[in-house]
Amino acid sequence: MSAWIAVLVVCAATLGVGALGLRLSRTTSDFYVASRMVSPRWNASAIGGEYISGASFLGVAGLIFATGSDMLWYSIGYTAGYVVLLALVAAPLRRSGAYTLPDFAEIRLRSAAVRRTTAVLVVGIGWLYLLPQFVGAGLALRTATGAPGWVGTAIAVLVVVANVTAGGMRSVTFVQAFQYWLKLTAIALPIVLLLIVWHHDGAPSPAAVAGEAWVSPLSGDGDDHPLYRTYSLLLALLFGTMGLPHVLVRLYTNPDGQAARRTVLTVIALLGTFYLFPPLYAALGRVYAGDLLNSADSNDAMMLLLPGRMLGEPWGDLAAALLTAGAFAAFLSTSSGLTVSVAGVLSQDLLRGRWRASVSGFRVGAGLAVLVPATLSLLGVRTGLADTVTLAFALAASTFCPLLVLGIWWRGLTRTGALAGLITGGLLASVAVALTVSGAVEGGWPAALLGQPAAWTMPVAFAVMVGVSLATPRFRTPGVGTIMVRLHAPESLDLNRGDS
Amino acid sequence: MSDVPPQRTGYQEVQDSEEFQALRARFRRFVFPLTGLFLVWYFLYVALSAYAPDFMSTEVIGKVNIGLIIGLLQFVSTFAITMAYARWADKNFDPTADKLREHIERGEVK
Repeated sequence: MSAWIAVLVVCAATLGVGALGLRLSRTTSDFYVASRMVSPRWNASAIGGEYISGASFLGVAGLIFATGSDMLWYSIGYTAGYVVLLALVAAPLRRSGAYTLPDFAEIRLRSAAVRRTTAVLVVGIGWLYLLPQFVGAGLALRTATGAPGWVGTAIAVLVVVANVTAGGMRSVTFVQAFQYWLKLTAIALPIVLLLIVWHHDGAPSPAAVAGEAWVSPLSGDGDDHPLYRTYSLLLALLFGTMGLPHVLVRLYTNPDGQAARRTVLTVIALLGTFYLFPPLYAALGRVYAGDLLNSADSNDAMMLLLPGRMLGEPWGDLAAALLTAGAFAAFLSTSSGLTVSVAGVLSQDLLRGRWRASVSGFRVGAGLAVLVPATLSLLGVRTGLADTVTLAFALAASTFCPLLVLGIWWRGLTRTGALAGLITGGLLASVAVALTVSGAVEGGWPAALLGQPAAWTMPVAFAVMVGVSLATPRFRTPGVGTIMVRLHAPESLDLNRGDS
Repeated sequence: MSDVPPQRTGYQEVQDSEEFQALRARFRRFVFPLTGLFLVWYFLYVALSAYAPDFMSTEVIGKVNIGLIIGLLQFVSTFAITMAYARWADKNFDPTADKLREHIERGEVK
């Protein structure tokens, strides 16, 4: 019962503040202006609130629980992707004046074909990232209340669509900032109680219960190629973050470069703090809930079931309700951010006629953005939550990472090279994703290579982009020197950079 | 470059100027090695876990072993690297960029 109340309160609060936001500001630019008045600290909380997805709220603990300490990499990789983003692309991208990846493609390469390809990829990555959010919402509600799986998915989809089409959620940085602190509280308070119980029980070691293999990293099951998987996962997370549609736009919410750096620094501290907790749940899960090690579903639900097993009434119930509320807040905030980004790109670049770049087009786009992942999750597509999120990172790392890094740092990139690289990387990673999600490949090297594709798809995409660019120098962007100055000259320089 | 309107020839001058080239080189000389170092440190940890499990499981204080300490240090180092970058950009990059801006505004780009 308390879990129902918790979920309903979170949904009502999200819708309520969304409606309030609608009255406060109506346009995207209001949102940016509002953000410019917000200190880096608040802004960073908002980024953290949007970035920590429901899939990672539950999924990271589930994965570490199931697979062992190798998966600590998720915790670190999710955080560290921001460092690569900051060092390699953040500042030039801010200066370019691009708000979305298709904007950047257009500014740098002046090609409609590259722009459209980028837009298709944004939508694909968005769908892939939304799928586990919706699946997870169903799973969380079913675990906490026993409701059928589709109920949680339907609630999440309806709240997100209502919020996004009304234009509310995103307009108030404060809401998302609040959601970060809600998630942190929701994950941090129950663990205190659980650790007290654990200590009281004589602090049994997870190694003693689960065996040494769980504690020692990369021990693997022989066939699993844990070292390859770990490296590939790290690459995907480190280089994929820069290509996530909802991450990039957030960099514009700061007034200048210095504030942007402060913001990223705070974001890393906030994310690092948050991601210290899932491993603790995983370790306790090994001690107290080893019987849940059956399927991806029960792994991902472990965190919600743990309090009930370790604490008596009413504490177990309350702790589970708090965790469910945190997970739901995470599903809603990330899905809303993603849906806004995907809907914007759909209406600007892919819809035609009167839907193009209009408010009604944006609403249609929002519908399309959630339709595909919602249908898939209602049809019963089930994969490990964090696994699917990683595939979205891998797709981003194999397409947008080469486009951004080469586009910003190498004047030799041509539009044919960019197009060839995007298509090659996109196809390879998508095929890997499709084969993995469908469960067609089992065990051995093929499963490892397809399940964690970034380590080979990303270098291939880079190589194709460089190779084809070198072979087609006549397709270099006219006036590339001018564009490079625009990307790399100091921001305060009084040059005409916004309106080419 | 014939399609560039005359009022924007400033770009060309800036692009060709030694100062701008020096600025970019300076940025690259700091950021690329930093990124490389950061990746090596991460990948080294994974390699150590795989090939030197005995070293990693050396217990330092009670149950706390070297692997766990380095693992937690990854979080700390991620933050430290970002801080180093932010400091560097505040202290070195921004002032150089400002100087370049002054020179451009006074028409002293060389």
